[in-house]
Amino acid sequence: MEVDSQEQLQRKQSTYLSLDENFEIQKEVYRGQQYSQIYFARLHMMRTLLYSLVPNWKSHLPVCTVLELEEGKECIIVGTLYKHMKLKPCILDEYSKERSVAPLIKPHNFMHQDDYLVLEDESGRVKLGGTKLSPSVYVTGVVVALHGKETSAGAFFVEDVLEAGLPPQIERPLKSREDKYVVFVSGLSIGSSSSNPLQFQLLVDHITGHLGDEEEQGFAAEIVHLVIVGNSVEISHGLLNGQNLASKDQSRLSEPFKELDILLTQIAASLPLDIMPGSSDPANFALPQQPLNRCLFPGSATYNTFRSCTNPHCFELDSIRFLGTSGQNIDDLTKYSEAKDKLDFLERTLRWRHLAPTAPNTLGCYPFTDRDPFLIDSCPDVYFVGNQEKYETRLLKGLEGQLVRLICIPRFCETGVAVVLNMRNLECHALTFGTQISS
Amino acid sequence: MATTSKNMNVFYRQKKNSSASTGKKSTKSPSPKHAATFGSDITQPPALVSHGDDFDEQEQVLRQFDMNMAYGPCVGITRLDRWERAQRMGLNPPKEIESLLRGGKVKLESLFDGRV
Repeated sequence: MEVDSQEQLQRKQSTYLSLDENFEIQKEVYRGQQYSQIYFARLHMMRTLLYSLVPNWKSHLPVCTVLELEEGKECIIVGTLYKHMKLKPCILDEYSKERSVAPLIKPHNFMHQDDYLVLEDESGRVKLGGTKLSPSVYVTGVVVALHGKETSAGAFFVEDVLEAGLPPQIERPLKSREDKYVVFVSGLSIGSSSSNPLQFQLLVDHITGHLGDEEEQGFAAEIVHLVIVGNSVEISHGLLNGQNLASKDQSRLSEPFKELDILLTQIAASLPLDIMPGSSDPANFALPQQPLNRCLFPGSATYNTFRSCTNPHCFELDSIRFLGTSGQNIDDLTKYSEAKDKLDFLERTLRWRHLAPTAPNTLGCYPFTDRDPFLIDSCPDVYFVGNQEKYETRLLKGLEGQLVRLICIPRFCETGVAVVLNMRNLECHALTFGTQISS
Repeated sequence: MATTSKNMNVFYRQKKNSSASTGKKSTKSPSPKHAATFGSDITQPPALVSHGDDFDEQEQVLRQFDMNMAYGPCVGITRLDRWERAQRMGLNPPKEIESLLRGGKVKLESLFDGRV
């Protein structure tokens, strides 16, 4: 006699390894240093790398420093780019006499056709000319090698550019795996007027297997990990204007966290989850943002599946390397340069081997003294950015056989879209949750 | 608060009247491009070369280490930290500097400490 098969669907599991140690600042001591130290560390690391790449690029040309430039001598120089931008907000504008000239509304993009690039190293700086290096593509903080010669005007005429290129990628074992999925969601903005709690509850129910028939539940059982990529909470600005809060307002301050914690507890009880801080979350402003305090999540932090992570976040699942940020680095690139789409910005940061080249110039950053933690030395398999306008993805192929899945994760409160990645073949698709009842 | 000051020296720091006693002549002929790294006196401002306090040979060696561009900026980092950073980056800083710094009796902060 056949007993009713009460098959319990087991959720698949994967091994997790956190690589966030580089982004933690607990051990750092502030001794009054300024940003020259982190720029030095960045220039030194990248220059050593570029010097090793130059012989394969143009071995016949001499390499020299900026101070050693001679007029007409063709050579290669390596340094940090600085982009002089006319419209970049400057603190001194507040003190300038012609106040009426300064525009009251800041533009979203500070580019201007008169922007020019300058190359700097410890010995000096030189203005860059020529059309090879486009100021609309590059930003301050990128380290490159340039081939060219000094002109009579004292500028450096650029004939060719060498970027570091995609970093080497660790070979992954190609054994045919089973389908295992990772879900990315960002911009939940719980507490804002535009967030719909039903939408996120639908997502939670779907992932935890409370929705759908056996087939749906079978799919949900193959989800091994959830990453929440920043901006989970939005506190209304009226509460944050610095005045003392009345007791009824104090509870309004903590309501978004309570709501988030209830939902995260449901998730943490079911599968491992990582939560990253974003620009609207209660974490430090400067990158790298430190993990959200566990006290904010009294319910979910008791689970060992709950992990509060840094922004940027780097981890390995079944030896597949994931690297991503909550969006501040790409948003800053959007303000100071231009590209066809956000995936182009992602690709550029990989080619420049730096997560956030505009830090610390226009992006808040901790003044590290001995290292630059945003340098990418090993190519990730999945490179994601959160809190973008729409879902976009591309598979990037490198010259040395690197394969990277680039993902732009849209804001969930605006789009209702989460992203699902299959770890077996790095294929990606969107999971859309709608709560409109159509007639 | 009025204080009966019998000795005004307590409030006003005495200025030393030492004339520029240390006119160290550099034996190397300075090449303009590397002057900053070899530290010839021609390019160094007077404040760097002869100063009333804390001036001895060891301090001069350490100041040359501070000024050496190859090891990065010296402001905002202690000399030992800067030496260790240079060591970790593979720049091979001279071992004598390390022994001097660990030996004690020398200023651990760079020469710009407190002045910038």
